[in-house]
Amino acid sequence: MKSISTDRQRLRTRRRQLGFAGLLVGCIALVEVKAATAPATHRITLGPSTTTATAPVQRTATAPSTSVGGGARPASRASVARSATGRPIDIGYGIVQVRIVLQGTRITDVVPLQLPSGGRSGSIASYAVPQLRSEVLAAQSPNIDTVSGASYTSEGYARSLQSALDAARS
Amino acid sequence: MEPSPAWSSPAAHLGVRSVLAVGALAVVGLWWLDTSAGSVVGLGATVTSVGRVAGLVGAYLVLVQILLMTRLPWFERAVGLSRLAAWHRGLGTSVVSLLVAHVLLIIEGYALTEHHASLAEGWTILTTFPDMLKAAAGLGLFLLVAATSGPRLRARLSYEGWYWLHVSAYLAVAMTFFHQISTGADFVGSDLRHRATRLLWTAIYLSVAAAVLWWRVARPVRGWLYHRLVVEAVVPEADSVVSVHLKGRNTNALGRAGQFLSVRFLTPGHFGTAHPYSLSAPPTGSRLRLTVKAAGDHTQALAWLHPGVPVLADGPFGRFTVREATQPGIVLIAGGSGIAPIRALAEDFSRAQAHGYRRRGHEIVVLYRASRREDLALASELDQLHRSQRVVVRYLVGRRAELGYDPLAADSLHRLVPDITGRDIFTCGPPGMVNAVEESLARLGVPRRQHHIEEFDL
Repeated sequence: MKSISTDRQRLRTRRRQLGFAGLLVGCIALVEVKAATAPATHRITLGPSTTTATAPVQRTATAPSTSVGGGARPASRASVARSATGRPIDIGYGIVQVRIVLQGTRITDVVPLQLPSGGRSGSIASYAVPQLRSEVLAAQSPNIDTVSGASYTSEGYARSLQSALDAARS
Repeated sequence: MEPSPAWSSPAAHLGVRSVLAVGALAVVGLWWLDTSAGSVVGLGATVTSVGRVAGLVGAYLVLVQILLMTRLPWFERAVGLSRLAAWHRGLGTSVVSLLVAHVLLIIEGYALTEHHASLAEGWTILTTFPDMLKAAAGLGLFLLVAATSGPRLRARLSYEGWYWLHVSAYLAVAMTFFHQISTGADFVGSDLRHRATRLLWTAIYLSVAAAVLWWRVARPVRGWLYHRLVVEAVVPEADSVVSVHLKGRNTNALGRAGQFLSVRFLTPGHFGTAHPYSLSAPPTGSRLRLTVKAAGDHTQALAWLHPGVPVLADGPFGRFTVREATQPGIVLIAGGSGIAPIRALAEDFSRAQAHGYRRRGHEIVVLYRASRREDLALASELDQLHRSQRVVVRYLVGRRAELGYDPLAADSLHRLVPDITGRDIFTCGPPGMVNAVEESLARLGVPRRQHHIEEFDL
């Protein structure tokens, strides 16, 4: 395995670096495009939403949907997307609070606003939340199975979700 | 075990690449359909999502790396082992880098969402999430494999050491699999959709494992049971060059002149590795000859092989054959071990002409490049071919410094073979020599499709 001329080697290394960079940029672009498909009415709520002062609402990554210009209120059709925020639930070693996105009467997304942080409870929460979300979307109700090893988190999640649904329906 | 037919087309390469690209799109599509726009919004969520995509694509590319070297007949016919190995080498660093990026991004993403320090978050993930220790160990193995495949570190390892380290990549794949279905966001969950994707992902892994077991283990064993190849004799040819004569059943089906086999001698000291060796003569019904230049500890040990040793041969590989020729006139250029396929091709071309399969009147020119007279191997056989007036042999002996010029430079090649631009040129030898010839031919204006290369760099 003799080494070939350094020019060729340099070209090869350069090509490989570009290849990796391309892959990474591709991944980032994919996620950004996905984020951009977030409904523009994400932060506009048609029902009374119980957003408490302590809720650290995360800024959306894409500017157009959340700027002040997003005040173009859509007509109140049943199919328009709306969101509702649930109550923060204290589960003993942290707060669980979720926000739901509804399309008509269908839950299309559940976004965690607050989760327990710190050591094991934080990691349990971040592991359990994707599962809980998919179960809610499948069941279309807060009556879901607890994730094993995350019973407190599951309960807090369900209760915050229920309060969000109540807020959306009222 | 038919010798692979020669399909020579960039279209076939594109076909294989497209199939692999479609696979990547399918994996990405899986993520796209499973992820809601709302869940990637926010810095922590975005970073985690990029990490997830990187992990999915990285895992897919690892499977692609394995498939490239599994010797699937379709890949072999469409692309050929040498080029597949080049793709495999080229992709290696990108894949491992992507996996490292996956780990760092996920840790950072979780850390941002949880408002933790990154290192503490990383430790938490490692020690409390399911199957993470296995995955970390697997990643460590991948890094080791990638590092030792680079030119600097590889030179320090024996061939056997490097080979077995590389084989441990299979273990690394198995170890990293489990964390994917036990913690991957697109795979966990008891709902139908996620159960289905878990099943599908597991099925994909099992299929790749089955392909490896079939084409890399079962097929060579089946081949041996059919051909019963054993060593007949080991004959020294020149300074550190030996020919290994093999005998068996239906050996002419094992390959044609110019191709190579992946050979494993089943005897103590040789069990551990398989090497690619070229046929140095067209095979007969019961005899096969390989000619090897001793370059490392293993090839040097070939001289001590005794008759009767069983041989596990996989192949044939390579499209460096008579069928690739597009023109009536031929030039064969050999250097070092490259003499083996070149000498075989010389006889094969000559025979094809004699039997009327190729047009007569255009002689076959063989250029044999060596630094010293003692390095010339199989010279007597080349001389015999020369005497029967079917082949013209020119020995280009001597170091460039002593000669004062480069016999493989453009003007020199043109002088040796004035009509070279209208011929097919087959070159086989060490990378430096092959590069030099490529450059000369480019300068002379020889179309790329008329230049065929076999590089000994596996």
